Amino acid sequence: MTAVHQFHPVLAPGDAMSDHVFALRARFREWGYASEAYAVEAKPGVDGETRSYRELFRSVRPEDTLVLHFSMGHEVFDELAKLPARRVLVFHNVTPPEFFVGLNPHAAAHARLGIRQLQRLAPSIDLAVGVSEFNRRALEAAGYARTACVPILVDWSRYAIDPDAEVRALLAGIHSKLLFVGRISPNKRQDELIRMLAYYRRCIDPEAILVLVGSHRDQPQYYARLRALADALGVASAVRFTGPVSLPQLVAYYRAASCFVSLSEHEGFGVPLLEAMFLGAPVVALDAAAVGETVDGAAVLLPRKDLAEAAEACALVNEDLGWRAALVDAGHERVRAFDPDRTARRTKDVLGL
Amino acid sequence: MSDAQVDLDAILTEVRERVRRKRERGIYGADVEALLRTDLPGGRRLLSDDMKDPVGALAEALDEDAVYDPTSHKRVVGPLITAARRVLIGLLRWWMAAILDRQERINRLLAATYDVEGRLAPRFGERLARLEREWRQWREHEVAANLHSVYFQARFGGDESVIREQSEQFAGLFAGRKRVLDLGCGRGIFLQLLADRGVGGYGVDMDERMVARCRERGLEAFAQEGLAHLESLPPRSIDGVYARHIAEHVLPGDLVAMLRALRRALQPGAPVVFVTPNAASLSVTGHTFWLDPGHLRPIPPELFSFYLEVEGFTGVAVRTFQPSEERLDENVGDPKVRENVRLLNRTLFGDRDYAVVGYQPDA
Repeated sequence: MTAVHQFHPVLAPGDAMSDHVFALRARFREWGYASEAYAVEAKPGVDGETRSYRELFRSVRPEDTLVLHFSMGHEVFDELAKLPARRVLVFHNVTPPEFFVGLNPHAAAHARLGIRQLQRLAPSIDLAVGVSEFNRRALEAAGYARTACVPILVDWSRYAIDPDAEVRALLAGIHSKLLFVGRISPNKRQDELIRMLAYYRRCIDPEAILVLVGSHRDQPQYYARLRALADALGVASAVRFTGPVSLPQLVAYYRAASCFVSLSEHEGFGVPLLEAMFLGAPVVALDAAAVGETVDGAAVLLPRKDLAEAAEACALVNEDLGWRAALVDAGHERVRAFDPDRTARRTKDVLGL
Repeated sequence: MSDAQVDLDAILTEVRERVRRKRERGIYGADVEALLRTDLPGGRRLLSDDMKDPVGALAEALDEDAVYDPTSHKRVVGPLITAARRVLIGLLRWWMAAILDRQERINRLLAATYDVEGRLAPRFGERLARLEREWRQWREHEVAANLHSVYFQARFGGDESVIREQSEQFAGLFAGRKRVLDLGCGRGIFLQLLADRGVGGYGVDMDERMVARCRERGLEAFAQEGLAHLESLPPRSIDGVYARHIAEHVLPGDLVAMLRALRRALQPGAPVVFVTPNAASLSVTGHTFWLDPGHLRPIPPELFSFYLEVEGFTGVAVRTFQPSEERLDENVGDPKVRENVRLLNRTLFGDRDYAVVGYQPDA
């Protein structure tokens, strides 16, 4: 049996990238291929079938397809790119190093390595796939000859569960609940969200809260400075850092949110934007990187970063029921474009399976 | 685009309107602005933010030292790690010093090469933007650009029949012309006079409402700034210019630039007429000239004819008109007193407008 294997340096639970890998693996198997997910590091709690990348060197045959998911630099990519197989690179983008300089030298070094490695790998890759048009253009700029664009495969049925009751109770009775979901990272600009909250509480609703869902494990310094910023602005009690959450908790946050707001300056795709739409939260987002094409008219897209305008936009979609309903409807409609069967068919076509 | 459409422009318009109202009512004031500008505490600004004003940030960074705290806060092993780091730093100090010394030289030389420290203060971009904003505002305030010009026209703009009467004396100068430009055409009074006489002409005015009114009357007119229009004209493409009450609205340099552009754009023998308040009359320069906040400075007739002559126009002459309504009575018996009264009348209550007329030289 021909095989379609996938690799990403780290596979972790609750990570959009890893979920994408597992969703693809299910499809590859459905289409009659042998398919495994390989990693250098499998985080605790991740799918039990995850294999060590070392096995790849023994098992891959020339007729197989090897799908390398690229979102960070890693020396293993150089080795894997030499394997005798059809090599496909799926690009999830790399956060530019300037976001990390002075905050996290380790992350900055990794980002630099990633960008250099992406260019270096170009000649040994047969087909490069961007998960957004923004990423596909980055691939072209990095010297890839054959490129295509296929979105991330999101299994929407996973979200059709009861929201966590505790979270629901916690947020009940609060009028303005601004939500952002994404790991705590300087490119996602949670600091700007906190500043925006300060405006919101001073000029719109003094009871408003900001919920920041996402792990801060990789950015301890930025996280500490975010807390200090919330303190300095006098909004510490109104900013809720949840850390990583379970799926029922995540669903509860989205369902309870007044709006989902993103001031992120660098997104290769932006799965949370679609999650918010799927779960009925109106979306307000800064038009940066791939955000515009992902929301495609189904969100209040802010053309420039103006925190007062961002806050007023959040308030407007919270208060004006007509516009709120229109945005939520548009969101549902937009998510339909990411129907998993449709994305799977597109993946099949593009990979020539 | 999704099928379900949301009017995002309407949302953004409403959002901006809300911000504007809050600014107006003082809810969104300087204190909130300061909150929004609060830097992330506990270290330097994010490099990604500094990249938006790299020159200003570079000037700041050149004077910063690298800070590293070797203290480990881990329990039990912490003090050991701290001690080990200190030893390492001690061992590396000489080597690091050599590297830092070299880097310092490079930094200073580069900074000098680009003159970063000498010329550019911190947050240069921000300060430049503020200056530009203030300059633009100053320019607008200087001529009261925010004044509702329709109301102004209604109160001080002059009676249409009076303006027509004044303009009529110049219409004859353009007889038989094919393409006369009325610079600052306003409501199109002069254009109408030309049209009535079968003279081909068109108008240019900065005020779009005026242009619209010309077009309603079936006259050809464009909304454009005068000098920009003249400079865009092909050589020898017009055969006459009438510019009523324009010159006092522009700076002397702009006026000269207009004359030069006209020398290019006019056909040989074409007449040029500029009408402007008569600066030789003190009741004009002391009072009526300043009724229009858009007036920059009075131009004495001698100076205006000098401008035309220097730029090469021929047959330059000045005509005054529009006598002042208020004058001293010259009906006095004593001839000496009468002479004095006449002199006073000329100086104080002379004609309110004058025209300087010139011609593009033949070939």
